[in-house]
Amino acid sequence: MAEVSFQREIASLRLRDGDTFYGEGILAVTKALLQSGVAYVGGYQGAPVSHLLDVLVQSEDLLGELGIHLETCTNEAAAAAMLGASINYPLRGAVTWKSIVGTNVAADALSNLASPGVLGGALIVVGEDYGEGASVIQERTHAMALKSSLWLVDPRPDLPVLVRAVEESFALSEASNTPVILELRIRACHVYGSFPAKTNVAAAYSTRHRLAPAAFKYERLSHPPVTFQQEADKVARRLPAANKFIVERQLNERMGPSQGDVGIIVQGGLFNVLNGRLELAGLSDVYGSVSLPLLVLNVVHPLVPEEIAGFCAGKKAVLIVEEGGPDFIEQAIGQILRKADLVTRLHGKDVLPMAGEYTPAVVGRGLAAFLRRYALAAPALEHWLGAIDARRTEVDRLLGVALPARPPTFCTGCPERPVFSAMKLLKRELGPVHVAADIGCHAFATFAPFSQGNSILGYGMSLASAAAVSGTQLERPISVMGDGGFWHNGLLTGVAGAVFNNDDTVLVVMNNGYSSATGQQDILSSKEEKDGRGKGLDIEATLKSMGVRWIKRVHTYGVKSVVGTLREAMRTGQKGLKVIIADGECQLARQRRLRPEWARLAGAGKRVVRTRFWVDPEVCTGDHSCIRLSGCPSLTVKPNEDPLRTDPVAHVNNDCVGCGLCGEIAHAAQLCPSFAQIDIIQNPTWWDRLRWRTFAALLRRSGGRASRQPTAVVPAA
Amino acid sequence: MRQSRPIKLLLAALGGEGGHVLAAWLHDAAIASGHYAQGTFIPGVAQRTGATTYYLEIVPGAAVRHTAAQRRPVLALNAAPGEVDVMVASELLEATRAIQAGFVTPERTTLIASCARVFTVDEKSAMTDGRVDPAGLREVARSFAHRLIIADYTAVAAEAKSLPNAVLLGVLAGAGVLPIGFDDYRNAIRRQGKSVDVNLRGFEAGLATVTAPAAGETSRPGPAGPELVAGGSQAGLWTEAALTPFPAEAHAVLASAVARLSDYQDAAYARLYLARVGTFVSRCGSDGAFIRELARYLALRMSVEDVIRVAQLKLRAVRLDRLRRESRAGVGDIIEVTEYLKPGAEEVLGLLPPRLGRWLLARVRPDLSWPMKVRSTRPSGYLRLWALAALKRWRPRTLKFAEEEAWVRRWLDLVDRAYAVDPLAAREVVATAALVRGYAETYKRGQANWTRIATAVIEPALAGRLAGVAFADAVLQARLAASKDPEGQALARTIEAIHAGAASRLAAQ
Repeated sequence: MAEVSFQREIASLRLRDGDTFYGEGILAVTKALLQSGVAYVGGYQGAPVSHLLDVLVQSEDLLGELGIHLETCTNEAAAAAMLGASINYPLRGAVTWKSIVGTNVAADALSNLASPGVLGGALIVVGEDYGEGASVIQERTHAMALKSSLWLVDPRPDLPVLVRAVEESFALSEASNTPVILELRIRACHVYGSFPAKTNVAAAYSTRHRLAPAAFKYERLSHPPVTFQQEADKVARRLPAANKFIVERQLNERMGPSQGDVGIIVQGGLFNVLNGRLELAGLSDVYGSVSLPLLVLNVVHPLVPEEIAGFCAGKKAVLIVEEGGPDFIEQAIGQILRKADLVTRLHGKDVLPMAGEYTPAVVGRGLAAFLRRYALAAPALEHWLGAIDARRTEVDRLLGVALPARPPTFCTGCPERPVFSAMKLLKRELGPVHVAADIGCHAFATFAPFSQGNSILGYGMSLASAAAVSGTQLERPISVMGDGGFWHNGLLTGVAGAVFNNDDTVLVVMNNGYSSATGQQDILSSKEEKDGRGKGLDIEATLKSMGVRWIKRVHTYGVKSVVGTLREAMRTGQKGLKVIIADGECQLARQRRLRPEWARLAGAGKRVVRTRFWVDPEVCTGDHSCIRLSGCPSLTVKPNEDPLRTDPVAHVNNDCVGCGLCGEIAHAAQLCPSFAQIDIIQNPTWWDRLRWRTFAALLRRSGGRASRQPTAVVPAA
Repeated sequence: MRQSRPIKLLLAALGGEGGHVLAAWLHDAAIASGHYAQGTFIPGVAQRTGATTYYLEIVPGAAVRHTAAQRRPVLALNAAPGEVDVMVASELLEATRAIQAGFVTPERTTLIASCARVFTVDEKSAMTDGRVDPAGLREVARSFAHRLIIADYTAVAAEAKSLPNAVLLGVLAGAGVLPIGFDDYRNAIRRQGKSVDVNLRGFEAGLATVTAPAAGETSRPGPAGPELVAGGSQAGLWTEAALTPFPAEAHAVLASAVARLSDYQDAAYARLYLARVGTFVSRCGSDGAFIRELARYLALRMSVEDVIRVAQLKLRAVRLDRLRRESRAGVGDIIEVTEYLKPGAEEVLGLLPPRLGRWLLARVRPDLSWPMKVRSTRPSGYLRLWALAALKRWRPRTLKFAEEEAWVRRWLDLVDRAYAVDPLAAREVVATAALVRGYAETYKRGQANWTRIATAVIEPALAGRLAGVAFADAVLQARLAASKDPEGQALARTIEAIHAGAASRLAAQ
């Protein structure tokens, strides 16, 4: 059951001709799929495209009406393989995932999909997780499109354009029997805008109108000898067909005057950023009325030689605005110009950086350099660039100190935090240990105050990445994996491999019940619930059946027992894989479930106990060891009230959900007597009240020495 | 209309603060008021406390129409430095980060910032005080905003039993920087339908901070004043007269120290304290700052938190109100308190007479400890604490007390001798007392570090064995290094460096 409820969005997916859709880019794309008569949809969650699936998962009625088959795939390879349905059948299908990582996982299936090609339109919507806010390695999906001959669409981030891009991509895919990748940068996925809606289209063949199996056709298989014909078909027939379609349907946009000395060719996804800078250079306006020749490539692969050459012909120079490296587009255009024997000067990575996000400042610098080169004055742009640097130096001078970074961290009460506190405590005892980290919330343990993890090799890859380490070190390495990563990949690449090779190694599986980092999507081991997709699979049983002999379960919040179990796993004489399943439900999900329930009970006059933790400011001496072992957002500091002390004391703020970790750590690490658990009892019983009165009386009689007399001798301080 | 420029607005929030909802309200309200609005955002790891940004452009009057004729404004997608009209930040450090990135400019930007601080892990995990100076941050805000509206909106939200994002919407409305009427904001909240009443309450509270008279640069009350505690019986002994011999700068500290020590032990103990400070006054009374710091640390060290003291503190009636207040217990609610205590061998055996205590300590496992969860709000738990606190009269005969006394004498002696050589160095020797504090591991680490500094830096310097090394500076460096890392590596390196420096100078001569 995903983190967000999409009631409003689901309604907007039902909009008809004449309605106007307001909403986010990724939802517009989702609506466009429905308008394109898609027969099946699938994918694997990951920012920034998670919402596409999350919304559809919650729209079962709508999908039922349209006869759309929805598959929440166990990983991107499964999603890519699912597109195989379009090889033999006239079914339009779409899958989605986070790129580059998801595309890498899907690579094998993608190659085998691309080789025979598709009959029904096949669309892959990838979230290009590049630049600010990215959570993965910085690589381009472009390379994958090139090597498998998949067409790559990089649309201008304007909702009507995005929607058209989806609809045309299906047509392009069918016209050239080639799967199409639609890449959306993070900001494009989250663009908030509007477009004129169309009525959804039900596919001719679907869950409601089922097909007969296809006849045996060897040429549909990606298997020799036909693979050789398929390779030829890609270049001899599919590519020309695609080029023809792109030109005829004008998928790429010519803007500005047709004539001019210099022009710009830009990836569709970067047009908006470029336009802002052109505006400043006096070459465009808010409405994108560009006053120099501009070619917006909404399709970045394939590039149509005639179209490119036609644009460049008669120009002194063109600037290619292409984000990231290698500069595939610039290289291709260079070749096109050479072959067309055009003398047009080619600029791009000589004035723009090969690496890094193309922010306004970056694009502005490149543009300014290009314009300068051709004596096009842009004083406003130049002045703006100068001001940015000047202001930054001025701020830094005034600040004098570097601002501390604020990386994301485990949520308040996160069940994974205690495991890393335990690992930090154990480190004091055993000295350094090699920690193989993984993708997921637990990767936050690589940040302070835990700073643990020696490598991250991919989603569910931690155990596999420690294989050789376990064979070459004295201490056993510890691999950390989430239940999401476990089902995505870790079970086979990691567990099976370690069992098979009898690796002497330790694996910690964070069993929080969801794929939490991506928004709490259900996974195989999620509890079975009426509105969820979980199947309640038991990780322990799975491991046993895989032949893992040493398996221990720990409740994560019991730091002491986690430390003990980890110690045992590191010290036991038993060779082979040792797995610790760390149980603790994702606190975000837990709170979302329990809060309303508690409110209801309290409202109904039932006895409700709310627990939270508290630091005694009179006892805390302000050393903050507790914070160095916990890092909980609700465990913070506040000014010391003791007139004799200066350092801030630890303080538990009101976000505390009472997970109990601080108390556990205070015990496990024998920190200090400052921590106290407070249970707030709403609608107390007579027995609660009696106990309380007795205590209050006792306290007032003997302990109640709260005299304020001495303040009399304190000069106003 | 063709030429109307977009109003550009950037929101900086932290994951889980509802920045997304705030952006949605604005977008909704803008469109409802007949403007063209578009935006985008970088959710960061929403809900997971990282920094998130939301960017919005509003083109006044250019209502949304999807006709072939209408040419839609192009959303810049990224906020550009120097091109932001309104910057909203839910936290002071993030506001400053935005200024550093160039999003707040004197020519153009109205900055609406909450001066509430959510400390970063680096700031709060420091061994001493790692907080960034808020004054500096506010200064930056003041000097770069075209117009600055700043207050602790987190506190405003708490008071209104609402959330900061709703409050910020109210402030934004009140600031009148957007062509949107108050009711359009209110309706947007209603249309979005997320806990409408709570959010409307927050909106009105935020609105009031700007529109109400004497609004603008408001500041919330700080934490409650010090709760000084002293034995009622002794309190009478102390009059202004008792403090006259001491320099005025030290009076405040001495008064609270006397109160604390009378309560910690008794009047005689407090007199001993005053006498100890007195001996220094006779020599360097003129140096008020020096006396104040000496008095401060001496009081802290003489009221060390032994088991008895902890029990004593946990029995206070003042805690009742504090606990109710801080746990946000409602009227009629009852609170149960469970204290997490885990005294170790030193702490428990420290209650015995020195001889016996030492004898036993030498024989028990070093990691021996007694974890307990004491329900101090239950008679049983209460009586356990009371029994411990009752050992107060016995305290002077305990091992812990003896050891602390020995430490204090050694420290005072070092201060004394250092003052004779170099008053500046003496200040630094005084300050080293800050290293010894806390409980269990923290306490042991502090003790060990202090002893290293005393034997490896202070003593040799006094014996003139650190030729040419600036005494005061050496002690200062060592003290700072000791607070850098819990493992004490920085301290080891620093001490090495000091000795190396001394050696090389010797060689040079």
